[in-house]
Parts: sequence; C-alpha cells; structure tokens
Amino acid sequence: MANAREIQSRMKSIKDTMKITNAMFMISSSKLKRAKKSLEDTQPYFYTLQSAIGRILRHVPDISHAFFDQRSNLKLEEQTIGYIVVTADKGLAGAYNHNVIKMAEEHMRQYPNHRLFVIGELGRQYFSKHGYTIDTHFHYTAQNPSMHRARVIMEKVVDLYMKKELDQVHIIYTDMINPVQSEAAITQLLPLQKKHFAPNTLPINVRQEEIALYPDAKTVLDLIVPNYITGFIYGSLVDSYSCEQNARMMAMQTATDSAKAMLHDLSIQYNRIRQAAITQEITEVIAGAKAQKKKRKR
Amino acid sequence: MKTFDFKGLASNKTFFEGRCSKLIIPAPDGQKEILANHENMVIAITEGMLQFQPENSEEWIQFVVGTGFVQVINNRVTLLVDTAERPEEIDIRRAEEAKQRAEEQLRQKQSIEEYHISKASLARAMSRLKATSKYR
Repeated sequence: MANAREIQSRMKSIKDTMKITNAMFMISSSKLKRAKKSLEDTQPYFYTLQSAIGRILRHVPDISHAFFDQRSNLKLEEQTIGYIVVTADKGLAGAYNHNVIKMAEEHMRQYPNHRLFVIGELGRQYFSKHGYTIDTHFHYTAQNPSMHRARVIMEKVVDLYMKKELDQVHIIYTDMINPVQSEAAITQLLPLQKKHFAPNTLPINVRQEEIALYPDAKTVLDLIVPNYITGFIYGSLVDSYSCEQNARMMAMQTATDSAKAMLHDLSIQYNRIRQAAITQEITEVIAGAKAQKKKRKR
Repeated sequence: MKTFDFKGLASNKTFFEGRCSKLIIPAPDGQKEILANHENMVIAITEGMLQFQPENSEEWIQFVVGTGFVQVINNRVTLLVDTAERPEEIDIRRAEEAKQRAEEQLRQKQSIEEYHISKASLARAMSRLKATSKYR
C-alpha cells in the first residue's frame, strides 16, 4: 500500500489537472454560446437559400449550367474527388475529430483519385502523418468561422472545379442534431444535384407559376450558386465549430467528474492509511510503556 | 399605397421582415424598383445600395449589400444577400483600408482566383465608401 505522502502528492496533481479541465470547460461553454448564436443567425438565410434554389430549378427544369454538369463522360472511378474536411485545431474534444477523420478515410478508400482540403490543424497533422497528400496551400483554422473564410474556400474549390481538376467536391463536417447529439455528415457541394433541391414529391395537378429570371438564367445562377456554396461552407464551419465546443465541453465535464471521483476514493484511502499509521504508533507507544513498567516491577 | 411582403436576409442576420411599399435594388445593369404585385421573377443583385419604404412611411431605409438575389413570388419578396449593413454602421477607415488593400493586391501578380477575390473585395469596399459619402 502506498504511503500517505505519496497519496497526498497524487491528490495534489489530480487537483491541479482538475483546475485545468474545469477552466477549459468554462472557456468552451462560453465559446459554445457564441457559436450557437451565430449558427442561429445564419440558419434562416441558409434554409431560404436552399429552398429558393429548389424553386428556381423546379420552375426552370431544363437549365444546363456548368455547376450542374455531372461529368458523365468520366466513369465514377476515374473522377477526381475533392474532400473538404472540417476538423478542430486542437484535440481534447472526445470523439469529435475521430468521427470526422474516420468518415473521411472511409470515403477516400472508395475513390483512389482524391484531393484533400483540410480545415483545422489536428486533421492536417493526422492526414500528413498517415501518408495522405493534402493541399498545403489550403491553410485555414477552424476557430471563429467567418463569411470571408468561407468565401475564400469557395473560390478555391469552384476554381478547381471549373478547371476540371476536380470533378466532384464533397464537404465532411459535424452536424449538431440536438444539443447533446452530433454526427459526422457528408454533403456533395459540386456538381449540384437537382434531386437535392427538388424532390419529385409535388402532386402533378399543382399549378406551377412561371418565374422569369433577370437578366437571364445563367447570370442569376452564376450569382446564386457560388453564394449557395459559400453559405453552405459557412454553415458547416459554424455547425462544426459549435459541435467542437460542445464535444470539448462534455469531454472536460467528464474529466472533471472523474477527477472528483478519484479524489474521493483517494481521500478515503488516505484517511485509512493515516488512521492505520496512528493506530500503529499508539500500539507501539503502549507496548513500549508496558515493557518499561514490567522492567520497573522486577 | 399597395404593399407587399418583404423579407431581407443576410448571411448573419434577418435585417427586415414586414410589409413594404417600394423596394429599389442594385441589379447588374443598374437599379431596379419593385412595387406591389410585381411579376414573378428572380433578379440578381450586385454590390451596391438597397433602399426600401416600409408600409405607412415616407422614409427610405437604406442598406449597403453584397451580392445575392431577390425573388418575387405571389407578391412576396425574399431578398438574399451575403452581407447587409446600414450606412451609419460602416467604419469609413476600415472600408478605406480594405479598399487600399484590395488595390494593392490587384497590382501584384496573382492567380485568377486571388484576382476574383481582390476584385470582389474592392467592389465591396467601394460600394461601402460610396454609401457613407452620400450619407454625410
């Protein structure tokens, strides 16, 4: 059994760690509050944008546009697929990073031709260590997502897509289902799939009103689609960032809780040892005194 | 005066929701005005000044907007832009700096995507500066 001083020093180190985890809990909970606010602010824009594109496509069904070009001249295996992977800058967030990375690896195994665009330091480190080639010029942090960053990312992938260096662009991020549950998700950004926006669930006899596109369909789509992609990237950055803070908050909460439990157990153990030591000392003193008494009597 | 439902959404906020009588938007080939019972239409929006008159008000409310589009369907107008700011919210010095930065970047040799980004940020900075100079 360890002695009392060892247990005490162990308890001290646990207490110090607990201070850190507790502080990190506070930090991530305040960051989460801010991230959630911006998520709520951007949601109406995002959903309206999605339904607006759906509506345009429904009313003008035979639009042919570069963004809808499925590149059907190439077989699926021959297409180059770009993955935007959103991870955190730091670890200590439970399974958050792991889930995203696992999903990315699964998808990349299916398609040998891929290019990786990783957001967040942790993902970059992981993928470069595991022998994946990642785009080194693509250097963005996951902290404090901004519209500007989303726009720059959009320009980059749209440019590569237009140059036919990429045939498909997917984004892998973490979606917050509800405050306690989040899940890694993948969405195809380019080429846009009409079925995403316009499910064929409309009854046939619904009167479809005519919509004019001004100045013309191409100009409108040229403006809307990049906006939509920017919006989607921004939305998923914000979504992931909130999930990251949420995951970190929960991880730190469990760490603090288990530190408390350990401290509880250790303090019981410490008290026991202390008592045992006191008892032993008393027995020794008494035994010593008795021995002296016997000597004197003789 | 007849009115229509107007909803203005920027990527980070809903800046107006309610009934309006007039709406002027910056389209790629100049300004366009939308009144009540407009034909169903989707119109592209470029960087510039957006103005509208809410119901029972003679006052024009102005916003400096980024790119986006507006859709008019059944007398309901939904406007989606990436940014929207009130002229008085704009920090002139920041806009000035952004303009200089964009011009500086445009002078340097850069890839076509960087060129597009700098061009767009220059356009944004110019429209913001224009709005503030009119406001004063």
